[in-house]
Amino acid sequence: MSFTGLFKRGLVHGTGIIMSIRSGLFLCAIGVALVPTQTQADEPFTVLAEKTNQKMVKVFGAGGFARLNNYGTGILISKDGHILTVASQLLDTSDLVVHLYDGQRLRAQVLVVEPELDAAIIKIRLDGKKIDEPNDLNLDYFDLVAAAKRPPAQVGDWILALTNTFEIALRDEPLSLQRGVIMAYTKLAGRRGVFDFPYTGDVYVLDAITNNPGAAGGALIDRNGNLLGVIGREIKNSLSDTWMNYAIPVSAKVDLKVKETVQDKDGKPTEVEKTVTISMPEFVELGMQGKYKPIKRETRPTGEGGYHGIIFVPNVLERTPAYVEDVVPDSPAAKAGIRPDDLISFVDGEPIVSIKAFHEWIRANTRADSVIRVEVRRGESLQTIELRLAPHPAKPEPPVKSQLPGTKMQ
Amino acid sequence: MIRCGFQVVLALAVPVAFGLGLLSFHPATATSADIDKTVLDAQAERIAVIKKVHPAIVAVCKPGGEGSGSGVIIHPDGYALTNYHVVASTGPLPSAGLADGVLYDAVLVGQDKVGDVALIKLLPKVKDKPFPFVTLGDSDTVKIGDWSLAMGNPFSLAMDFSPTVTYGIVSGVNRYQPPAGSGILEYTDCIQIETSINPGNSGGPLFNMKGELIGINGRGSFEKRGRVNSGVGYAISINQIKNFLGHLYAGIETDHATLGAAVGTKSEDAPLTQMVVKQVLEESDAFRRGLKEGDQLVRFAGRAVTSTNQYKNILGIYPKGWRVPLAVRRDNEQIEMLVRLMGYIATEKEPQPKLDGPPMPPVPPKGPPMPLPQGGSTEAAKFFKPKKGYTNFYFNELERDKLLAAAKKHGEFAAVAGPWVAEGSYDMGERKGTLRLDLIPALNDADPLVKLKLNIENKLSPLKETDVTLQREPLGSGGLMMALYHWHRLLTLGQSGFEAEFAHGGHEPFYPYPIDGSTPKSLAALRVDCDVLRTKHGSTECKWYYSQDDHRLLGFETYIVKDEDPCEVYFSDYRPVEGRELPHRIEVRYGDKRYGILTISKYTLGKK
Repeated sequence: MSFTGLFKRGLVHGTGIIMSIRSGLFLCAIGVALVPTQTQADEPFTVLAEKTNQKMVKVFGAGGFARLNNYGTGILISKDGHILTVASQLLDTSDLVVHLYDGQRLRAQVLVVEPELDAAIIKIRLDGKKIDEPNDLNLDYFDLVAAAKRPPAQVGDWILALTNTFEIALRDEPLSLQRGVIMAYTKLAGRRGVFDFPYTGDVYVLDAITNNPGAAGGALIDRNGNLLGVIGREIKNSLSDTWMNYAIPVSAKVDLKVKETVQDKDGKPTEVEKTVTISMPEFVELGMQGKYKPIKRETRPTGEGGYHGIIFVPNVLERTPAYVEDVVPDSPAAKAGIRPDDLISFVDGEPIVSIKAFHEWIRANTRADSVIRVEVRRGESLQTIELRLAPHPAKPEPPVKSQLPGTKMQ
Repeated sequence: MIRCGFQVVLALAVPVAFGLGLLSFHPATATSADIDKTVLDAQAERIAVIKKVHPAIVAVCKPGGEGSGSGVIIHPDGYALTNYHVVASTGPLPSAGLADGVLYDAVLVGQDKVGDVALIKLLPKVKDKPFPFVTLGDSDTVKIGDWSLAMGNPFSLAMDFSPTVTYGIVSGVNRYQPPAGSGILEYTDCIQIETSINPGNSGGPLFNMKGELIGINGRGSFEKRGRVNSGVGYAISINQIKNFLGHLYAGIETDHATLGAAVGTKSEDAPLTQMVVKQVLEESDAFRRGLKEGDQLVRFAGRAVTSTNQYKNILGIYPKGWRVPLAVRRDNEQIEMLVRLMGYIATEKEPQPKLDGPPMPPVPPKGPPMPLPQGGSTEAAKFFKPKKGYTNFYFNELERDKLLAAAKKHGEFAAVAGPWVAEGSYDMGERKGTLRLDLIPALNDADPLVKLKLNIENKLSPLKETDVTLQREPLGSGGLMMALYHWHRLLTLGQSGFEAEFAHGGHEPFYPYPIDGSTPKSLAALRVDCDVLRTKHGSTECKWYYSQDDHRLLGFETYIVKDEDPCEVYFSDYRPVEGRELPHRIEVRYGDKRYGILTISKYTLGKK
C-alpha cells in the first residue's frame, strides 16, 4: 500500500491513498551519448551510469510497515551473483528477491552478515540449483578486494552514486544517478543509536542527497567508475536536524575489543581483552567462500524493540518481579488479553526474573510485528498468551523547530 | 512490489521566513592561466546558455503579484508553459513576472490536469512587441548522466522576478510517478533530476546544456525529508507536452487516454515480464479493432511493452482520441492495429471492479469549473471565454479561424454553394464501374439530398432520414453519403453550417493509406500530423484532418453514432477545378476494411 499525498502551499489540500502494485520491466536501452566532460581523462557520466548499472541489483525483502522500506540496493561482487548490501531488516526474510539490470527477477539468500561493518553478502539462488553450485549467470561485477587496494578518495573528489532511491526503478529500469563531491573522510561520532548505526569506522561524507529510502546498499563510484564505497542508511543529525549522506568505504576497517578466554601461566582459564580488526575486503573475500565467521560479541545494546503496551508495577527493586499493573487500551497486550496482576514468567521459553529482564529481552529480540509467546501466572494457573508487537506509537511532536511548512518532524 | 512514498507537488509554500546567513566571500585570485582551459570553456558555455534563456523565464504569480510558481515562454506572442497545479492556485488571470523585472498581465489558455501542464499567454505592454522565448528540445534524446539546468523562482526569492538557476544531472529517464491526489497529476515518461527544485520551481523549465527546453519541473519525492529538495525531482518531458500542445493552444480542457482494456503482467513472479490483455471494454475502439483477452502486448505506439510502468509511460503521453498503432501477439501470430484511445477522466468515472490488471487510480472528482476571473486585469479578462469542455474558448476560436483561413488558400467555395456533381469511376475490389455523385444542398423549400450512383443508385435525405442503418448507406461504407453531405457543407457554408459544434480539435496523427493501394508495411509509418476541426450538425459529428504542413484537408471521419466506427474518407490527388483545389481520389474505409476508391474525373460546381 502506498500513501501518496499532495501537499500544496504547505498544507495538505487533499490526500489520496493509492494502491500501487508495481511490477516493472523496461527495455529502453540507455544510449551512449558523449557529452562534454569536465576534464578529458574522465568518462562521461552517461557511460559510467550505464556500465555501473549493470553491476547493480534492486533488492526486495522484508519491510513495508512503519518506516521500514521493503526495498534497497545491492552491488554485484562476483559473476555468480554475490551481492554486497547493507545489513538491514530488509534481509530478515526467506523471500528475498533481486531484480537485475536486464529485468530478470531472481531469488536470493543471505550468506553472511557483519553488523560491525553494517554489511551483508547475499547471493542469487537459481531455481533447481543449490546456493553454492556454479551457475552460468556470468554477470558483470565489481572486484571489491581489488577496489579496496586503491587509496581512498580525497575530500573534494567528484563522486557518483547509483541507488534505487524511493524505489523508482523496478525490473530493468536503471537505478537513479546522483553526483557530488566528498565533503569529508571521517568517523560519524555523534550517531543516533547503535541499533540504527552500528558501524564505527571511517565514512565518506557526501554533499549530494544520496541517503534516501531504498538507497542503502547503492554504489559510490569515482569519475572512472571505480567502486569507492557502499551508500549507507538514512540517519539524521539530531543536533542540526539534518540528514547525513554517507558511504562506507570499500576498505572499511573496524577495530573491536573482544574478550577471550585463555589459559594463564598456571593453566587456569582467564579472560583477556584483545583487539581484533574487521575489514571489508576480508569480509567479502572470506564471506563469498563461506569461510567468514562474524566475531562473537557480548549482547549488543539494541533498539527499543517492539511495542507491547504493558505497564508494570513501579520498578523499585533491583529485581522487581514483572507484575502487570495495567495495559494500554487497544495495545497488543490489551488485545491479547493480558490483565492487571498477571506475573510474566516466561517469554518464548526464557525465564523472566524481573521487569528489567523483560525490557532487555524485548529490546534485544523483537521489533514491530514480532510475535512473542508470553507465559503469565494468573492466580494459581499458568497461561500462555501470544502477542503480536506493534510499532511504538508516535510520541507527541515537539513544538515547531523547523521554519519550513510541511516539513515532517522526526 | 509495494511502494511507499510521499509524492509531493512543488507549488509554492505560504511565505516563509528565512534566516539569512552572511557569508564573507573572498574572490578567487587565480588567473585563467592556472585553470584547465576545458573547465573555463565549459563555464563560459554554461554562462552563455543561461544568459540566452534567462529573459524567457516566468515567475507565475497570483493576480496581485504574490508568487505561486514558475513558467517559461515558448512563443514570441507570449505563450508560456507552466504546471496545472500552479494555475489552479492563480486562477485564469495570473500575473507573470519576467527577468526584466516587469509584471505582465496573463490569461490561462489551455490546461492538462492529468499531465499537470498549463499554457498561459502574457499580454505585451506594447502592442505586438515580441516576447523572448526558448526553443523546444527533444526529450527522447536525454540520457541518464546528462547535465541540466532548472530555472524558476523557488520560495519566491526574487522580488524582481530574476530567476534562480540550479545545475545538476539527469538521474533517470522514462520514469513513472503515479497520480498525486485524486487521479490527476500523473507523471508518465518523466525525467528524474538531482538538479535542485523546491517549492516555487513548479512549472519552471528544465534545459539541456544547449538551452533547449526538455521538460517542465513539477514534483519530487520527499517522504520524511520534508517538502524541500531531496535530490529527487521530476520534470514532465517536453515530448509529452508536444503531443498536447495543439490542444493547449486551442484552449481545450485536455484529457489523457486509456486503451479501453485492462492490461497486466502475465505473472508477477516470472523471471521476465509479459504484458497481457486481461479484459477489453466492449465500448472501446480496441474491442472493435479485435483486441482480445490473453493477447500479449508487443509494441504500443512504436515502443516495446515489457512492464506495467513502461505500458503506463507509453499510454500516458497521449491525448484522448489519438489513434495509436498497437502490435499484439496471439498464438504465434503478430497482429497490428490502429486503436483510437479512450478518455482517461471520462472512463475512470465508471469504476471497473472486476479488473485485476494494473491498479487503477481512484475515481477523480468532477473538478470544479475554473472559477470566473476575480481580481485579474480587465484587459486580460477580454481574452478569457469559459465554455464546457474548454479551458478558454477564446483561444479555440482564434486557432480555429487561423486554421480555416490557411485552408482557404486551397480554395474558396462560398461562391459555389449550389449543387455539385462529381463523375468518374469506382473500385470496390470485385466490383468496378462508373460513378456519379450529386450533392444537392437545401434550396428554397427543398431538403438537401445526396445521390450516389455506383452502378445502382443510392439516395439519402440527410436531414429527414432517422434510421441509423439507412444513414450508413451505401452498405459497408459506414455512411459515405452522409459524410459527403457534411463535406459539401463544410466547404460551402463553413461555420454557419454547423450549429451544434464548430471548434478546433487540437493536434492528432492521421494515417492515410498508400495511394497506390498497396498494403502498408507498418501502420505507424503512415502517420501524418494534422490539425483537427470538430463539427456537429444534426446528430452527426465529424473530425476533419488538415495537414500541419500546408493545411490541406487530408480526410475526415464521420460518426453516424458516437463511439461506433466512423466512415473514414481519405483525400488525395488534389487538382484545380475552376481555380479551387479538389481531391480526385477519394478512399473510403469503414472498420478495418476498405470500402472502395472513388476516382473523380469531373466536378461540376453549381452556384446557389
